[in-house]
Amino acid sequence: MAIEFKLPDVGEGVAEGEVVQWLVGAGDAVEEHQSVVEVMTDKATVEIPSPATGVITALHAEAGDVVEVGGVLFTLETADAPAVAGAASSTETAAQAAGGTGSGAVLTPTPPPKPVGAKALATPSARRVARELDIELSEVAGTGRNGVIRRCDVEAAHGAGGASTVGAHASTMDVPTGAGGETRVPFRGVRRKISEAMVRSRDSAVHFTVVEEVDVTELVALRERAKAVGAEQGVKVTYMPFIMKAVAKALERFPQLNGRLDEQAGEIVRCHYVNLGIATDTDTGLLVPVIEGVERKGVLALAGELAQLAQSARTGRISPERLKGSTFSITNAGNIGGIHATPIINHPDIAILGVHRIMKRPGVVEGPEGDRIEVRQYMNFSTSVDHRLADGADGVRFLVALKELLECPGLLAL
Amino acid sequence: MVDVQRVLAADGSVVGAVPDMSDCRLRELLVHMLRVRCIDERMLKLQRSGRIGFVGSTLGLEAAMIGSAAALGPMDWMWSGLREGAAAVMRGLPLDEYVAQMFCNSNDTAKGRQMCNHFQHAGSHYPSWSSGIGTQLTHGVGAALAAHRRGLDEVHAIYCGDGASSSNGFHSGLNFAGVWKAPCVFVLVDNGWAISVSSRAQTAAESYAAKGRAYGVPGVEVDGNDVLAVHGVTAEAVETARGGGGPSLIVLKTYRMLGHSSSDDPTRYRDPEEVAAWAERDPIDRYETFLLDRGVLEAGGRERLAAATLAELDEVIRTQEAAAPMSTRTLVEDVYAEVPGHLRRQYNDFARIQESHGEARPGEGAFPL
Repeated sequence: MAIEFKLPDVGEGVAEGEVVQWLVGAGDAVEEHQSVVEVMTDKATVEIPSPATGVITALHAEAGDVVEVGGVLFTLETADAPAVAGAASSTETAAQAAGGTGSGAVLTPTPPPKPVGAKALATPSARRVARELDIELSEVAGTGRNGVIRRCDVEAAHGAGGASTVGAHASTMDVPTGAGGETRVPFRGVRRKISEAMVRSRDSAVHFTVVEEVDVTELVALRERAKAVGAEQGVKVTYMPFIMKAVAKALERFPQLNGRLDEQAGEIVRCHYVNLGIATDTDTGLLVPVIEGVERKGVLALAGELAQLAQSARTGRISPERLKGSTFSITNAGNIGGIHATPIINHPDIAILGVHRIMKRPGVVEGPEGDRIEVRQYMNFSTSVDHRLADGADGVRFLVALKELLECPGLLAL
Repeated sequence: MVDVQRVLAADGSVVGAVPDMSDCRLRELLVHMLRVRCIDERMLKLQRSGRIGFVGSTLGLEAAMIGSAAALGPMDWMWSGLREGAAAVMRGLPLDEYVAQMFCNSNDTAKGRQMCNHFQHAGSHYPSWSSGIGTQLTHGVGAALAAHRRGLDEVHAIYCGDGASSSNGFHSGLNFAGVWKAPCVFVLVDNGWAISVSSRAQTAAESYAAKGRAYGVPGVEVDGNDVLAVHGVTAEAVETARGGGGPSLIVLKTYRMLGHSSSDDPTRYRDPEEVAAWAERDPIDRYETFLLDRGVLEAGGRERLAAATLAELDEVIRTQEAAAPMSTRTLVEDVYAEVPGHLRRQYNDFARIQESHGEARPGEGAFPL
C-alpha cells in the first residue's frame, strides 16, 4: 500500500522545513528507520527516517523547497499493510480512518494544515487583545524578538487602523451583517508573499522618506522627441527609462544607497553595478522584477526591456529569477495619482525611489531679465532610505543629484 | 580540588579498584547500557518520522544512568531529573508502558497528561517527572524524610542536572536533607550543557561536588562514563544513607552527545571538537573492552545483545503504535471521585463537536446526565 509521508512537526511547534538534500532517490528501496531526507527547520537540521520498509515511489519536493508541516514529502510503497497500522487502507486518510474505525492506528500523525492566516507569532496577551479588538494578527507587524507580535503592536495597529491604512478590510469588518454582507478573500499566494515581504522590510529597515519636487519641463520635451525615435523602432518610450538612467547615474555618486545588507556576514554590500527592481502592478498583485546592468544600457534599450516586462507581467509569466538581485528599486504610482508617498524598501535593498505624476503649475523661472512666471511641469520624487545603512544627508544629496539630472536631462548623456 | 573517581580509563584499562561483582552482574550492566542506547536511538527515529512527538536523548549518559540506578535496591526510590527513563526500565518500568507513554496512547499510565518522554511507574517507586527544573529535589528530600519517620528502610536517589544546581530546589533540597539527615543520595549528572549553557558557565564554585560542603553534605566527583566507578560510589552513598549517615552529593562528569531534546540543535552553541573528544570516552565502548579483556563478554556479544534489544523494542513499538489513542473522556476524570454534572455537560458538548467533525471514537460517548 502507498504511504504519503507528511512532514512532521519535528521540533515542538515548527511550521515548515526546507529540504536540504534527499538521501535516497525515487525507486530506491528503504528500511524502516532508514534516513530518507535531510530537512532544515528554524530550530535544527534533522534527518527524517522512513516510517516503514518499502520502496520510495515519488519525492514530492526538491532540495531547496520549503514544505509546510503536514505537506507530503514522499510516497512510500510498502509490501503489505504495515503492522503498525493494520486497519488504515488508504494512508492518505490514515489519520481519519484511524479515528473513524477505532483502530487507533495513526501512521503519520499530522496536524490538519493550519489556516494560512493563523501562523502569526504573537504573545498570549497580544492574541487576547487582538481578539477583543477584532484585529487580524497577520496584519500586525511584530516588534518583538524574531518579529513576535506583542500586545503593544496590536494596540498600535488598532490605533492606526482607525486612521485608515487597512481601509478596505476595516470597513468591511465594520459593515453590520445584513447591510450588504461581506466578502472574504483567502489571504494567501502572492498577496501573502507581498505581506511577508512588506513585514520583513518594515521589521528590519528603519525607513525615512525624503520628497523632492523636480521641474521636468525639459524632460517632457525630450521624451516627446525620444517617443518619436522609439516609435520608428517599435519601442514605446515612457518616462521610466530616463528616470532609471538618472537613478543609475546618481547612484554612481552615492554608492552608499546602491546595494544590500548581508545580515549573516554582518556586511553592507555596495554594488558596482545597478540592478533596478521595478515595482509592477499586476493582476495578481505587486511584483518587483529586476532590470540588470542599468548603468551600461541606453534609454531606448531600457524602454524595450520595460515594454517586455510589462508584457510578461500581464501574462503572468515573470520567472522567479527576474524577481531577485535588485540593488535599488523604483516604484511608480505616477500614472495613477498621489503627490507623494512613503515607499517601502524592497528588502534587502538599501533604498527605493517613488515616482509621482507630472503636474502643470505656474512656476518661477529665473532668467537674465529677472524672474518670471511660466507654465511649468513638475514631478515629485519620494525616496525612502534604510537609516541603519545610510544617513539622512545621503538620501537628500542623492535626491538633489537626481533632480539636477532630470531638470537638465542633457546631463544624462555625459 | 576534588579528585575525579575512576575505575576504568577511557581505553577500558583498569585504573582503580574493580568492585566485587559477579561476572553475571558485570555483564548485566552492559546489557542495560545497551538497552538505554537502543531505546534512545529508536525513539529519536520515531520522533523524526513524526510517529511520536518529543524525545530527550540519553546518548553518552548510559553509564551515569545505569551505574547509579543499579546501585539502588528494589525498595528504593528514584526521582528523575530529565533523562533517567531507560534506567527506570531496568528497575521495573515495563518497556511497553515506556513506549505507550511516548505515543501518549490509551496504555499511557499518565493518560496523556504528561508531555511524552516524561515517565512514571508506581511499582518501581518512580514518581512522575517534572519539566520544571529542580522541583524533584525538595519532593525527594521530603519523601526521604517521610520514609525515615515511618521507619521504612528506603533510600531516595534524587537526580538533577548541572543546570538544576542553580535552581532554588537544589538549595532547599540539599540544605534540608543535610539538616535532617534525610536518607537520600543526590545524583548530579553534569552532562556538560544545560540546554545551551555550558556547565563551566553555570557556577563559580571550584566544582559541583564542592557545593555540598556548604550544606554539610559530602560531595564526590566521579567519571560519569565509567559505569563501575559510578556504581561503586553510588552503592557506598546508598549504604551510608540507609545506615543513617545522611545524604551525599555524587557528581557524574559526563557529556550529552546529542541536543538537549529533539527540538534542539547543539551545533549552534558548542564546538564539534568538544563533542569529538567526548566520543573518544564513550561509556559503552570502554566497558565493552573491559568485559572482553576479562572474558565476561564474547566477541560479537555486544552486537548480538543490541540486535535482540532492537527486535524486542520494535515488537513493542508495533503493538503500542497500533493501540487506541487515549480516550478523551479522561479529560474530565480523576479530579473528582465521580465526574460532577458541570463537567459531564461540558464533556457532552465537546463530544458532540468531536462527532460533528467525524472525530469521535468508540467509548467516548456522552455521559448520562
